[in-house]
Amino acid sequence: MARTAAGRGSLMSSPEHRLRKKYWSSGNSLAAFWIPGMILVGIIALALLVIAVPVFQNPGYLAGAASDPMVFQAFFVTFLAGFCAVGILAITGTPLAYALSRSDTPWKGIVETLVDIPLVLPHTVAGLMVYLLFMSRGLLGAPFGGIGLTFEDAFPGIVAAMVFVAIPYYVNAVREGFGRVPVQLENVARSLGASHARAFITVSLPLTTRHILYGALLAWGRAIGEFAAVIMIAYFPVVISTLIYYRFNTGGIAESQAIAFILILLCLVLFFVFRFLTRRAGVYDDRS
Amino acid sequence: MMIAVEGVSLTRGDFSFAGISLQVPESSYAVLMGPSGAGKTLLLESIGGFLQVTGGRILVGGRDVTMLPPEKRGIGFMYQDYSLFPHLTVEENIAYGLKMKGISSRERTSTVNTLLSSFSLQPLAQRHTGSLSGGEKQRVALARALATRPSALLLDEPFAALDPEARLSCMDEVKALQREHGLTILQVSHDRDEAYRLADQVMVMDKGRILQAGTPAAVFSCPVHPTIAALAGFENMLEGISGAASEGGRTLLSIGTTGIIAEGAVPAGERILACIRSRDIMLAGADISRSEQVNRIEGQVISMVATDHGCQVRFAGPFPLLIDIPGNWSSWEYRPGERVVALVDPEDVHLIRLSKRPGEEGNVP
Repeated sequence: MARTAAGRGSLMSSPEHRLRKKYWSSGNSLAAFWIPGMILVGIIALALLVIAVPVFQNPGYLAGAASDPMVFQAFFVTFLAGFCAVGILAITGTPLAYALSRSDTPWKGIVETLVDIPLVLPHTVAGLMVYLLFMSRGLLGAPFGGIGLTFEDAFPGIVAAMVFVAIPYYVNAVREGFGRVPVQLENVARSLGASHARAFITVSLPLTTRHILYGALLAWGRAIGEFAAVIMIAYFPVVISTLIYYRFNTGGIAESQAIAFILILLCLVLFFVFRFLTRRAGVYDDRS
Repeated sequence: MMIAVEGVSLTRGDFSFAGISLQVPESSYAVLMGPSGAGKTLLLESIGGFLQVTGGRILVGGRDVTMLPPEKRGIGFMYQDYSLFPHLTVEENIAYGLKMKGISSRERTSTVNTLLSSFSLQPLAQRHTGSLSGGEKQRVALARALATRPSALLLDEPFAALDPEARLSCMDEVKALQREHGLTILQVSHDRDEAYRLADQVMVMDKGRILQAGTPAAVFSCPVHPTIAALAGFENMLEGISGAASEGGRTLLSIGTTGIIAEGAVPAGERILACIRSRDIMLAGADISRSEQVNRIEGQVISMVATDHGCQVRFAGPFPLLIDIPGNWSSWEYRPGERVVALVDPEDVHLIRLSKRPGEEGNVP
């Protein structure tokens, strides 16, 4: 036994073994991928640091921002408008994403391009479009005004701007998800007695859960971060991005840094909790 | 119930078929064969109601279902990959159709339990389908399709994804089920063995047309089209021109500079395809004596490959031939490069009349 163990020990430390280990670790190493990638991660980390370090050096600003009712209200308005925007996108964008994934109409390309428009426009242009559409004399603003729903300097205006800029993020993510559900599954469901709508609800929709959640997260993140499009239709009630800009101009960097730090912290917590809660969503394998 | 397709047309992208007709009698098993891209799956999906046909009628048990959505047709469908719902357990997969049809929870449980038991799926009832083996998936798919008691069952290459051992036992299970439940089944297949084992009737389709239908023995022994001859296992197909028929009802075919005698009378001067199975050709030494009774083709062995049943020889003469030799190939006295004679009995040469116009090929009576 002792001889065997000794033999193994000598083998493990032999030059051949070290060479083999080096060969395999270098062959399987991801270093070549990590190094350039870490440049990006480093930039994000540094950006967080330049916000966080001064905040901790002057905690008074952080305490002041945390107890400021205007900051609290801006967060409330921003997050609520973001959730409303995602809700509207879920109701209208999910069917659109499904139609785009299943349709082979020649018009599909035009619809896809239209959906992508908010992605490529400067945010100010998106804001101008939203304003012209939803202002009190706008194409949609006027009829909505007739039933008492106003958008200019009002909460619905913020939601409208957020929906507009987040459309491609939600629709494209969910369309990708529906595209991964084989149409054969729906065919089989229908041969078993399900109508098209029930096949969609009972088969396609559950199998797209992961993409829907991912699309919702992307859209929400994009929505709460919107500034230009929001202030053009609704400077008030103030959203967090508007408040940060306002405090930057009136109270200086330190004040805006403290609010930005709270926003980053909240978003990190929310994103982490969301990813933790949805880590098993859409995974249906007994082995994993 | 009987499935009848009457003059059905469909256009799908670049592919189309027009005026297809076929019948699958009640409680019979039909196999639809054909090369890839022949339109078999599209035809099956049209019958299932997943594709809207542009013309013709589809009848199930005499009821016109052409304009009905899939859920109203009462036809079960099974794809090659079984298309089990990955987010549901085995039990939920089987219960899916019953739930969609509004069957009460109690009745549903009873039916599902019966099916789980008869398909030996009880130990897997609570498993998701992603980790099941091919054979288990197939049993789940069959149980799911049968749960709603469909009038007919459409199967799209259901055995293609199985390993050879599981394939044979699954085929036997499906055939037994078909007999037991009196099911009408239309199955797409590429495999001749499946047709022999399962089918009461074989239909061969290519380029959107049904080329021939009949019992497997009839279709595979007397193919009327080169595509069917290839499916039927005629590895050697030689095009030639027919000469004058002899008194004995035999025809002399000119293939290049060589003549081949075949059974069957054909008008002189026609383009004919002579089809010979590789197993129906014998090899002999170059010194074998001549005989009027068999075709004698001189040439040489190009290569030899061992097979399950002996060896397969590539032969080069006036035309190339593929020849299957039974027995242990290592003991075979000839080697690549050697001069040999290929012997073919005229009765083993099947003739197909070729036409310049596609679709008009026809075998020789």
